[in-house]
Amino acid sequence: MKTFIMLGWRNLWRQKRRSLVVILSITLGVLMMLLAIGIMNGMIAQMLDNSISTKLGHIAISGRGFSDTMRIENNFFPDDRISTALRKEKDIVAFAPRIKAYGMIQSGEASRGVMIIGVLPSSEINVSKINEFTLPDEGGRFLSDPDALDILISKSLADKLDVYVGDRVVLMLTDKDNERAGVGLTVRGFFRTPVEDYDNMVVYMGIGRLQTLTNLGGNISEITIITKKKEIADSVKERLSRAINDPSLEVLSWRDMAPFLVKAISLIDKMLLIYYAIFFITVVFSIANTLIMSIMERFHEIGVMKSIGTRPSQVFFIVMFEALNLGAVGLVIGLGAGFLLMLFLSFTGIDLSIFMDAMRQWGAGSVIYPFMTARDFIISTVVVELTTIIAAIYPAVKAARIKPLDALHYV
Amino acid sequence: MAIIDINKLVKIYDGNSLEVRALNEVDLRVEKGEFTAIAGPSGSGKTTLLNLIGGLDQPTHGSLTVAGKDLRNMSVRELSDMRLNNIGFIFQAYNLIPVLTALENVEYILLLQGVAKEERRERSTRILEEVGLGKEINRRPKELSGGQQQRVAVARAIVSEPELVLADEPTANLDQKTGAGLLDLMHDLNHRKNITFIFSTHDSMVMDYAERLIHLSDGRIVSDEKKKSSRESRERKTPGKKKK
Repeated sequence: MKTFIMLGWRNLWRQKRRSLVVILSITLGVLMMLLAIGIMNGMIAQMLDNSISTKLGHIAISGRGFSDTMRIENNFFPDDRISTALRKEKDIVAFAPRIKAYGMIQSGEASRGVMIIGVLPSSEINVSKINEFTLPDEGGRFLSDPDALDILISKSLADKLDVYVGDRVVLMLTDKDNERAGVGLTVRGFFRTPVEDYDNMVVYMGIGRLQTLTNLGGNISEITIITKKKEIADSVKERLSRAINDPSLEVLSWRDMAPFLVKAISLIDKMLLIYYAIFFITVVFSIANTLIMSIMERFHEIGVMKSIGTRPSQVFFIVMFEALNLGAVGLVIGLGAGFLLMLFLSFTGIDLSIFMDAMRQWGAGSVIYPFMTARDFIISTVVVELTTIIAAIYPAVKAARIKPLDALHYV
Repeated sequence: MAIIDINKLVKIYDGNSLEVRALNEVDLRVEKGEFTAIAGPSGSGKTTLLNLIGGLDQPTHGSLTVAGKDLRNMSVRELSDMRLNNIGFIFQAYNLIPVLTALENVEYILLLQGVAKEERRERSTRILEEVGLGKEINRRPKELSGGQQQRVAVARAIVSEPELVLADEPTANLDQKTGAGLLDLMHDLNHRKNITFIFSTHDSMVMDYAERLIHLSDGRIVSDEKKKSSRESRERKTPGKKKK
């Protein structure tokens, strides 16, 4: 077998220029495929991180059914049993209480329907990036006092309401007893997240003031939790659910709370198949063509090999090894170049700010930081070698079927 | 003991409504250890007969037994194995594998036979030394002269010690001196190892060397004569060459 591999290798370099052109096409194909996968990975990671760091967290504890209805009546009291369970779980990094209610914000110019999130500012900064998304150059700042008559709104909402930092707005909502309530609040600052829909919909205020306004007392809508890694959220959720053991509450991971996001990721994953298919179509014909040319040039030689006792199956394997060598060289160079490119881009990022509006619709940032996982490298390797094998089958069968006598007469 | 037994062998090439009878009821028996030349003009059927004996082609009629095996009913794989294990081939145009060195070309046969690496290398090196190429073992064919390449081809043909070597005009591309040296070598191997050699040839020197000379004409054997190998004749044609 070693000799057949060696024969395949040496045959490869009989027509250096031709082999190098094919290797270059495989290398570029692998590189482009890795770049596309890397950008997709970067986009998915940003979409997830942005959603987790603004609205979802890794895990949320809420009244059963709250995530579907988001009704203020569905609330609970965060008793010691819950606090103890949260503190005992070693994989939890931070948690914060939130109240979520629907209402209407009104300025002198306009009004908009919004979701009001009541937060405990000192805890919220540990579970979300909303304070990092607050725009300091507009003269505003993040909330500090949970009982203050302050509100934080997005820049895009501010533009629609035509308000500035320090201006007054009126917030109206329905409390837990289904009574209408309203309050005048001062715009404390603006924020801008990478998720456009979120910016258009959400406003923040102190949890204490919102509890008073909604007549919730010490009750809350949910507890948002951050774990050490998003990948372990489901296992932590299971443990937490068992520890709390309260049928009126439910513990949900980000996967449960954002099924649309999970489906979008799955869709993007499937789109990678298109990249693999493009690579396959690009490479398969160039390899097959090269091998057929190579075999026609060696028609006589293959006849001699068969005359002196080389079996058809052995000729088949010699051609297959030639193709695999061709694929392997292109693959190694492509993976090496892809790895270095990913390493470089993971620091610099790819600036897609010219598509910023579209990227914000997707919930991704304007600068994408592509990256590869070991799984991507393995899949790329398998795709390249499989492509090579498929491309080589026809030429290899053709070579194996050469009749020695015909080939010996061929000059 | 007959290594080749041919009875009423017929080969007809049938192409474009033109039927060519390349061999016409040939009977031939070759004993082990013979040094035989098949001579005749172009189109007389020499190469066709060699191809049929080598299992590279199938007869139209008649029986053909080589090394005790009836070639008519063998599969492609069985024919491959028979060529590998029982027959050595020497071609007019050397036909070495260009990407392999002299040693690797010779080793290739043993590799196909599944001989262990150490033994393979040892036997191939020894046979290349025997054919006078001990210093050229790591050269590729293009780095060797025509005579040297044909010696590598001889080494490849005999390294597995086959019962039969078929040589199709082995001296046709060589000058007379080199051709004579090659025939000396093959004659010597024939005597020392009792390998049966069958040549197809136009070359009178090869005919002189042969211990049996068969003449073919229009696909029939027209003469079959056993004789002594005429080394003197060879020495006459290549003055100055010393006897081994």
